[in-house]
Amino acid sequence: MSSFVIEASGLSKSFGQTHALAGVDLQVRTGEAIAIMGASGSGKTTLLHCLAGITRPDAGTVGFQSGAGRVEVTALGERERSRLRREAYGFVFQQGLLIPELTAVENVALALMLNGMPRARAEEYGRGWLAALGLAGMEDRRIGQLSGGQAQRVAIARAQVTGASVVFADEPTGALDSATSAEVMQALLDSTTGQGRTLVVVTHDADVAGRCSRIVDMRDGRIVGERVPGVTA
Amino acid sequence: MIARVAWLLARPGTSGAAASLLPVTAFAIVTSLLLTVLGGAQTFWTWTDDFGVTYQALAVVALVLLVVPLASLGGAAARLSARRRDDRLATLRLLGATPATVSALAVLESVVLAVAGALAGVVLYFALVPLIALIPFRGEALGIDGVLLGVPALAGVVAGVALLAAGSAVLGLRQVVISPLGVRTKQEAPKLHWLRIVIGIAVIAIAFLMMSVLQVAGSMLVILAMLGAAFGGTIAVLNLIGPWVIRLVAQSQARRAKTPARLLAARSVLESPKAAWRQVSGVAMTSFMAVFAGTGIALLGSFGEAGDVEAMQLFADIRTGILITVVGSFLMVACSVGVNQAAGILDRGELYRSLDMLGMPTPTMDTARRRAVMSPLRITAIGSAVTAAVVMLPLTGAAIIVAPLSLAVIAGVLASGIGVVWLGLLATKPMLERAAAG
Repeated sequence: MSSFVIEASGLSKSFGQTHALAGVDLQVRTGEAIAIMGASGSGKTTLLHCLAGITRPDAGTVGFQSGAGRVEVTALGERERSRLRREAYGFVFQQGLLIPELTAVENVALALMLNGMPRARAEEYGRGWLAALGLAGMEDRRIGQLSGGQAQRVAIARAQVTGASVVFADEPTGALDSATSAEVMQALLDSTTGQGRTLVVVTHDADVAGRCSRIVDMRDGRIVGERVPGVTA
Repeated sequence: MIARVAWLLARPGTSGAAASLLPVTAFAIVTSLLLTVLGGAQTFWTWTDDFGVTYQALAVVALVLLVVPLASLGGAAARLSARRRDDRLATLRLLGATPATVSALAVLESVVLAVAGALAGVVLYFALVPLIALIPFRGEALGIDGVLLGVPALAGVVAGVALLAAGSAVLGLRQVVISPLGVRTKQEAPKLHWLRIVIGIAVIAIAFLMMSVLQVAGSMLVILAMLGAAFGGTIAVLNLIGPWVIRLVAQSQARRAKTPARLLAARSVLESPKAAWRQVSGVAMTSFMAVFAGTGIALLGSFGEAGDVEAMQLFADIRTGILITVVGSFLMVACSVGVNQAAGILDRGELYRSLDMLGMPTPTMDTARRRAVMSPLRITAIGSAVTAAVVMLPLTGAAIIVAPLSLAVIAGVLASGIGVVWLGLLATKPMLERAAAG
C-alpha cells in the first residue's frame, strides 16, 4: 500500500483565459500536515479544490488512498465525489461557513446525520468533539453567539467528527487575530496529525505554515518550491 | 456626499446585476397588478343605475382583498431591495457613517429601484390592457377605454410604490442603524410574545359576535361597517397570530427532526417566523377568501332560483369577480414566494457553496428550503380557512359552509394556492443549483 494518502499528477485547470493550474504534481503522505503557500491568484485554492474533489481538473489525475483501496478521484462523477467529500474528507474554511440558524452541536452533528447516523447519536459525538476542542457548555449556542475563534473550533469539530482521514483547510485562521490564530491552528493540528490524520492547509500566513511539516510554494499555477519549516534551503 | 456613496454602491459590478434586477422585477409586477386591478374596477364607477352601486361596493371589497397580498408583495420587494444593501450599509456604519447617512442611502436606493420597477410595471400594464378589456361584466366586454387609466392614476400608483419602498427601507434598516454588529452576526433568533394569541382569540370572538348580530342591524350602512370591521379585524389578527403559531410548530419540529433536511427547515423557520409568515401570508388571504368565495357562491346558488334576469347577471358577474380576485391573489403569492426565495438564495450563496463542498447533496438543501416554506404554508392555509369558517358561521350556517359546492371551491382554491407556491419554489431551484455549484 502506498504511503501517500493523496497523489496528484499533471493537474491543469483554466478558468477562461486564466490558467489557475499548469501541470502540478503533488504527493501528500499519510499523517503529515502540508501547507500550500503563494500569493493571491497563484492557484493554491484551485489546487486544494482539485485535491479534494470539489473541482474536476481539465487534465491530470488525483488518487486517494482510502482504507478500502485507491480511489481515482478525478474519474468519479459529481455524486460520487460529493459522497467522498462527505465521508472521507473534512473541510475548514476561512469564515467557518457554519449554518447560522443551527446551534454549535447541530452544526457538528449535521455532518454525521448526512451520512445516515441518527440525530441523538450524532449530537452525542458532536458534544464530545466540542468538549475536546474546549467548547464544553457552548454546545447549544447559535453561531452568532460565538467568537471567531470559537466558531472556527466548531468548524474543526465538524470537519473531524466523521473520522475524516484528510482535512482540507482554506485560510482557516485568515479572519482571526494572531493569538486566536495560534490557538485554532494548534487545535487543528492536535485533531488531525495528532491523531494520525492528514492536514492540507492553504494559507498566506507564514506562522500557520511554519507549524506544518512541509510547505509547498506556488506561483502562476505551478509548484515552485518545497521546504521543511525551520530548515534553510 | 450621500449621492456619491449611493452611486458607488449602485455601480454595476459592485453587487451583481441580480441584486438590483430582482427588486426591480418585483416592483414591476406589483405595479402592473395594481394598475390592472384599478383599471378593471374603474369601469364600475361609470355605471349610475341601481345595480351600479352594488358593483362599486363589490369592487371595493375585491380591491381591499387584493391590497393586502399586494402590499405583502410590495413589502417583500422593498425588503429584498433593502436586504441586498444590508451588508454594505452595515459595513458603512462600522466605518463610521452616521445613522442619518445610512438611512438616507437605504431610502434613496430603494426608491430608485422602486421607481424603475414601477415604470416598467406601467409598460407591462399597457401590454395587458387589451386582455383586461376582454373581461365581460354586465353582458359585455369592459373595453379598452373602460380599463385604460389616466395619467394622474398612473403617477399616483408609481408614487405609492416608491413610498412603500421608502417606508420598508426605513423599517428594515432600523436595526442596522441601531446595531451594525447585531445585523452582521445575527446573534439571536427573534422572540414573539404570547400576548399575540390572546389578542387574536379576542378579536376572532368579537368578529364572531358581530356576525351573529348582523341580521338584526338597523341599516345597510351599519351592516357594511360591521362586515368590514369583522373582515378587516380577522385579517389583521391572522397577521398577528400567524408568526406565533408558525414559531410554535417549528420549535416542535426542530426538537423532533431526524433528518438534516427537516432540522435545517425547522431551524430556518425559527430564525425568523415573521419572515416565514410573510412569505406565505398571501395564501392566508387567499385561503380566507376561499371560504368567503365558497360560501358566497353557495349563497348565490340558493338565490339564483328566483329567475330575475338582472339578478342572475349580477350573480354571474360576482362569480367572475371572485375568480379574478382569487387568480390575482395567487399571482401575487407566486411572485412573493419567487422573490423571497431568490433573495434567500442570493443571500446564502456562499453558505450553499460551502455545504456543497462538504458533500451535502443539493437535493437535501432543496428539500430543506422547500420544507421551510411548505410547512408554514400548510399551517397558514388550513388555519386561515378554519378562522374564516368560524367567523362566517353565524352568517351562513354550517349547512352552506359544508355544502359540496362550497367545499369543492375551498379545496380547489387551497390546492391551487399550495400548487402555485410549489411552482414558485420550483422556479428558483436552478438558482439554488447554480449557487451550490459556485
